[in-house]
Amino acid sequence: MKLFVDIGLLFKRKMLETLRNPVFIIVSMSTPIVYLVLFAPLLNKLAGVQGFAPGHVLNTFIPGLLVIIAFLSGLFVGYNMIDEVKNGVLERMRVTPTSRFSLLAGRVLRDLVNMTVVVVLFVLIAIPFGYDLNVPGFLVELVLLAMILITTSSFGNALGVILGDEDKLSPIIQGINLPIILLSGMLLPMELAPKWLQVIAHFNPAYYVVEAGRQLAAGHFLNAKVGYAFLFMVPFTVIVVIWATRTFQRAVS
Amino acid sequence: MSADPVVMTENLKKSFPSRKGVVKAVDGVDLLVMPGEVFGFLGPNGAGKTTTLRMLTTLIPPDSGRAVVAGFDVLAEPDQVRRNIGYVGQNGGSDLPATGRENLLLQGRLYGMTAADSRARADELIELLDLTEFADRVAYTYSGGQRRRLDVAVGLMNRPRVLFLDEPTTGLDPQNRANLWAQINKLQAEGATIFITTHYLDEADVLCDRLAIMDEGKIVDEGTPEALKKEVAYDCITISVERHEENAAALLDLLEHKDFVLEVGVEDGHIRLCVGDLASGLPQLMRVLDGQGVAMETVKVVEATLDDVFLQKTGYSLRDLTPEG
Repeated sequence: MKLFVDIGLLFKRKMLETLRNPVFIIVSMSTPIVYLVLFAPLLNKLAGVQGFAPGHVLNTFIPGLLVIIAFLSGLFVGYNMIDEVKNGVLERMRVTPTSRFSLLAGRVLRDLVNMTVVVVLFVLIAIPFGYDLNVPGFLVELVLLAMILITTSSFGNALGVILGDEDKLSPIIQGINLPIILLSGMLLPMELAPKWLQVIAHFNPAYYVVEAGRQLAAGHFLNAKVGYAFLFMVPFTVIVVIWATRTFQRAVS
Repeated sequence: MSADPVVMTENLKKSFPSRKGVVKAVDGVDLLVMPGEVFGFLGPNGAGKTTTLRMLTTLIPPDSGRAVVAGFDVLAEPDQVRRNIGYVGQNGGSDLPATGRENLLLQGRLYGMTAADSRARADELIELLDLTEFADRVAYTYSGGQRRRLDVAVGLMNRPRVLFLDEPTTGLDPQNRANLWAQINKLQAEGATIFITTHYLDEADVLCDRLAIMDEGKIVDEGTPEALKKEVAYDCITISVERHEENAAALLDLLEHKDFVLEVGVEDGHIRLCVGDLASGLPQLMRVLDGQGVAMETVKVVEATLDDVFLQKTGYSLRDLTPEG
């Protein structure tokens, strides 16, 4: 019981921080909007081409962008963690009887709320551009996005605790960022890729979510790709969260 | 109030791997802190003070030995230890994007206090540590001294049986240091038990009822500041000489290289020097002054300082290592 109370308290703390400084919405929206406005028009003539669903090209592109939003919403949280390590906030809380898991969970939960707000806003913006929103499909997609966010936010926070230094965090984050995005087919479907790239992509959990997202956007629920996404993401999320919690437990900051 | 010690350690040890091999950060520390005491750990950076504190506050496990804090073993019952202690680390620990009051309330709730109890306790501490003026402002806007007082208040939220303060005044200007000292004295008057680490001699002298001098992972001496100073086996005097301004610098330089002089420096416009034994040291000093053709104007026997204690026990002066500032 105390666990849930503590998670709630620590979530509230971070959420208050967000509400006091709601710039995050603009920052988080800017990347996908730039893609939507400056990149998506390049794809217009590709509707119906291999890998692109028939109908508006955004139906293929937006599910990829949603994964980018979820991915980036979590990946960069390590910087804020490092601030708190340096200010002794984490250490102070580790000397209270609160569980290490709640220290992590409160933060991840806040990131999850932030991401959901941004994703919903973005989808609403995309509709006038020609995106056909499939509501049930989108709701299932949100579950997959939540798992991406939980994974990256847990990973980013744990990395911040381990490294405790922005200069060490940046190369790792940047090193992960681009390959994951390019190898997931978020921007262009992996069907267009040569065989060797497609093989590598299958080791990228985000790839499965992107593929599943495109099926869900078309309203195909009972699809092998949707099944694969859950099959990969559920254990992957659990493993990363366990690892991150252990890291919080052991952290000597 | 019980007469059981609040902190007890036996042969506490902790080593860290480093490039040069294994560093024995804490190498067999035995401690006893009684309720109501302000107990100090004095030593240079790297002496093992913070590492000891981190073991006592359950942040890192000891390699060997035993530590009992507030009646609970740090390894076997870390949760019970946490419930009964307060801890203010070197970096503070207050959450800067939150207000002072929010910091206090959250801390209370994390300790399992009810919302009402947390509010009452927060009000109490805001009053006690003079936070009223800025308690509802975001902590980002606080000055260094204000932030430190909030850190201490956060550490006291759960009414701890012992409050650990790690280098509490490092980075504060003299006025804020004095202010924090006053606050700590106030807490002590209310019966709090405080465990403090510091590398400031004056701080240890002013605040601590009892202190342990630590060097290279070991406690080299322990006692009240007064008792420690009495242990110093050499004599110290201050002198002033005629035409002091012109002569002092040259004299200082000369005396520094004399074998019979253990320590020499300038203090409040006088030359302060320590010799093994005044009976033989004074005549030798006179000869040096005669040789320079300088006459002594005043001479006064003075009490040894904690730095003298430190010098005698470790062979070096703490003041040389950590310039005040």
